[in-house]
Parts: sequence; C-alpha cells; structure tokens
Amino acid sequence: MRCEEVQEALPAHVKDGSDSLTVRRHLARCPDCKAELARYESLMGGLRILQTTSVPVPPGLFDRLLEIPARSSRLDSARDHVVRHRKVYVGGGIAVALAGAAGAALWRSKVRHPATA
Amino acid sequence: MKRQKATGDRAERELVSSDLIERCKDGDEQAWKELVEATHRDVYTLCLRILGNPADAQEATQDVFLKVWRNLSSFRGEAMFSTWLYRVASNTAISKHRKRKRQRVNESGVDDEVLAQIPSPGSVESAAGAKVEVERLEEALALLPEGLREAVVLRDVYGLNIAEIAAEQKISETAAKVRVHRGRKKLKEIMFPEKPGTETEERT
Repeated sequence: MRCEEVQEALPAHVKDGSDSLTVRRHLARCPDCKAELARYESLMGGLRILQTTSVPVPPGLFDRLLEIPARSSRLDSARDHVVRHRKVYVGGGIAVALAGAAGAALWRSKVRHPATA
Repeated sequence: MKRQKATGDRAERELVSSDLIERCKDGDEQAWKELVEATHRDVYTLCLRILGNPADAQEATQDVFLKVWRNLSSFRGEAMFSTWLYRVASNTAISKHRKRKRQRVNESGVDDEVLAQIPSPGSVESAAGAKVEVERLEEALALLPEGLREAVVLRDVYGLNIAEIAAEQKISETAAKVRVHRGRKKLKEIMFPEKPGTETEERT
C-alpha cells in the first residue's frame, strides 16, 4: 500500500479506527505516515478540548439576552393586536363583498328587467 | 459511543437545575438571568464555531435564546437541558448558514490570503506528535468552508454521530461522512502546513 493511499485513510482512521490490516501494517513500518497519524491525533485531542472551553462573549450580548422575555412579550402582544385587527378587517371585507354581490345582483336584475319587458 | 462520552461531559457541566427551568417557565426574570448567565457562553461559542464570525454568532445566539424562551414550556425534562439547548443552538446556527449562502471560501480549497495570516507552525509540532494550541485551532476552524466546518465541529467537538450530522445538515449520511473526512484533512493542512519545498497540495 502506498503512502498516499494510507494518508488518505487517516482522517477516518484517527477517530473511528480502521479495520484495514494493510493500513495498520503500513503505519507500523512507515515513519512518515506514523508522523502524519500523530498530527491527526493531536488535532483530535485539540478538538476534544474545545468542547470544554468557551470563547469570550462580546460586550452587550448578555444584556440583550436578558431583555428577551420583555421583548418577546411585546412582540407577542403586537402579534395578538394584529390578529385581532385581522379579524375585524376580515369581517369588514366579507361585509363589503356581500354588499357588492347584493348590489351587482340588484343591478343585473334591473338591467334584465327592461330587456324582458 | 463518542456521543455518549460527549453527553457525559455535558452532564458534568450541567449548570441548569430543573428547579431553575420551572421558575423560568413561571416567568421569573431572576431565574432567566441565572439561566442565561450559566449557558450563554457555551451557546455563543457553539454558534461562533459553526458560523465562523462574531456578528453572525451574536445574532444566532439571540435567536437561540428567543427560541428557548418561547419553547421552554414544551421542554419536559426527559432530555438534559444542555443537550436540548445544544440542539436548538446547532439547528439555529446551521439554518442561518443556509440562509446566508455566503461565498467566502468554497469547498475546493482554503483561501491562500487568509491562510497566510495564520502564524507559522513554530513549535506546535513536536517530535512526539504535537500539541495544538486551542486559539490557533479556533482560527483554523473558522477558515474551513462552512459545510466542512459544521461537520467537523459537530462530530469532533460536540460528539454527534454521522446520522445526527446528516439530519442537522439535511444531507445523506454518506455526504456527511465525506464532509467530516474532508474537513479533518483540510484542518490538518491548515494546522500543519507542508514545509516549503515539499508541496503536495492535493495528494489524492
């Protein structure tokens, strides 16, 4: 097995292990590939450490997060307001549509009446 | 297996008691302050690692806590709060990514100019196999193309398995596996650049 092939297998081998005997045999006798594996292993170690470390939080973010309950309830009440108004508008719209339909029917009957007379 | 371990790590760091959550559900502002205080650094960090820049990470963090506030009543406590929070956070950050469709660095390669800003490896690589500096690793992660970064962060930092990553990224498990593979390879290239004169950009 060539070094290129082994090194292509290393990103998976480093964490999930490799059942490939040829990879393991190659690693046992090839210092270059062994060094490459060591680099991947140190990388994995570093990434694991990241889970328990956090980065500094930008100033002001904490305060904005504290405002969320108040902001959220303001948004909710605004939304409720819109929903209530929407009902009024929908009701008004239906009334206008019905009135229009009635007017149109009346107009059509008036138009038809002289024609049939 | 790894997922178990990661969850175990989180269990040790569980800073939010069920009592605190109940008080938040009742609208107790002091309880909300305690909850935010205990968790916002981890959430911001996760968002930053996934999104790669502070402005987006701040926005995503606010979205996460807004979702937490609104959905707290549906949190029943069967899962650990931190697991639920991490899930909400990674979901939020990944959807933000998808919406942005930023064209920073494409998946075919890392931007050379950005790469040049990274300090040379110096003593990072020791004869025995190397230590990596956490700060440099954070910087290197930020340089990965976004799909690869999400995959590596979720797999190797937060311990999600391939099926979970595929679900989060809305891709097939095979594609998720490829992303993890390519992400690790790219990260290794950034952290341990080839020495001058031994240029092997793509060996495959």
